[in-house]
Amino acid sequence: MIECRNLSKSYRVGHARRTVLNGINFSIHPGERVALLGRNGAGKSTLIKQIGGVELPDSGQIIRKMTNSWPLGFNGGFQGSLTGYDNARFISRIYGSSYREIKDFVEDFTELGQALSMPVKTYSSGMRFRLAFALSLAIEFDCYLIDEVILVGDQAFQQKCADELFTKRSDRALIVASHDMTTIGNLCERGFVLHNGRLTAYSDIKDAIEAYHNL
Amino acid sequence: MASLAKGWDIQVRVIKALMLRELTTRFGRENIGFLWVMAEPLLFAFLVGLLWTALKGPEDFGVNVIAFAVTGYIPLVLFRSCVQRGVSIFTANGSLMYHRQISVLDLALVRFFIELIGHMMAYLFAGILLYSIGAFPYPYDLGLFLIGWIYYSAFTFGIILIVAPLSETSEVVEKFIPVITYITIPFSGAFYFVGSLYPSAAQIVLWSPLVHGMEMMRFGIFGPSINAKYEFLYPINVSLYLILFGLFFCRIIRKRLVIE
Repeated sequence: MIECRNLSKSYRVGHARRTVLNGINFSIHPGERVALLGRNGAGKSTLIKQIGGVELPDSGQIIRKMTNSWPLGFNGGFQGSLTGYDNARFISRIYGSSYREIKDFVEDFTELGQALSMPVKTYSSGMRFRLAFALSLAIEFDCYLIDEVILVGDQAFQQKCADELFTKRSDRALIVASHDMTTIGNLCERGFVLHNGRLTAYSDIKDAIEAYHNL
Repeated sequence: MASLAKGWDIQVRVIKALMLRELTTRFGRENIGFLWVMAEPLLFAFLVGLLWTALKGPEDFGVNVIAFAVTGYIPLVLFRSCVQRGVSIFTANGSLMYHRQISVLDLALVRFFIELIGHMMAYLFAGILLYSIGAFPYPYDLGLFLIGWIYYSAFTFGIILIVAPLSETSEVVEKFIPVITYITIPFSGAFYFVGSLYPSAAQIVLWSPLVHGMEMMRFGIFGPSINAKYEFLYPINVSLYLILFGLFFCRIIRKRLVIE
């Protein structure tokens, strides 16, 4: 379970402070798939960063009783000047996993081929996401945090993602921030809507999507 | 106890992974790789040593000039590069914060360890080389020499823990670093033996924990003839307070860190 209690986060903008999250409460249980909805700038990425521990909240706390991935998205988590293989090696070291297994899985899953020996800064955002996603699948987390992008790439790759995540790992929890309502509707059973720093939880994803459209 | 042991395992794993990562990004895997870290301090020490030999003759303060330069310069270069490398560590490595087991303290520790190991290797290398040509004495007291290193590097580490978070608070800090490291030179103890200074000057430079460390190291190398001046309690106390304050400062800054 991941529980968020009274979480607040603000950023300094010039001399003023802008509150992005204002007293957020929720909990996510193993196996739940939750969509995080909200307009641009509503604080979806900010909330995902707090859950992942990338940034620390001003107040409130996050209680983690299951392991969570780092926020998977276009950026973050990689060293741009290192190659895909070097990044995989580094990540396998800090998470204490076997590099051999991770390497095989990443090669097979990402289909990036030669590009894996190139610096990650030369990757397109789609390639970065593939690599990040493959690495986090290889390490095995209880809860996956996915920011903005989801299942990018061609049909075949999307199918592969769906297989890995929904068939082989249907017991894992998932938090997805996205604007793509079709994917979200198919993927998630619950939804959180972020608006004006507040979070409203809906137990049915349809209600959440409707609330989002009415913002 | 189990969780403590597990935490230690993770800590060791993370430090190891970060060191390897830092070494590959900084030195690459080509040619001599990591050994480059020795190059700068060695070049500095030997070139300055040669320069001084030309200016002052082969002996100064009763010891070989090159040995004097090596014992003074290598720790000083350690201090200087640690301070310089301490600037903006946290934002430069922001993407590492995506992995929750890595703390900002690990980033500071890793930079410090790499510099420390590199400079100690350079010292050892220079010492053996000079010893083989008779320009460096056999160490008089290795234990005290090592304690001196520990004192010197403890203070250096404390300074990193201040510089790193301080440089995140304002970009102005970065502009002051070169001049501050320059001002520190007389307080590093590299260019004199305290025993040869006027007592009033000696009193002032002994405020600096670095001078105590330097005197210990040199006593350990050259022996009692240099009339070394140092205390055991004062410098380590200053360093411990500095480290404590630095840890606290890092914590505050970590909370404020904005990561893309």
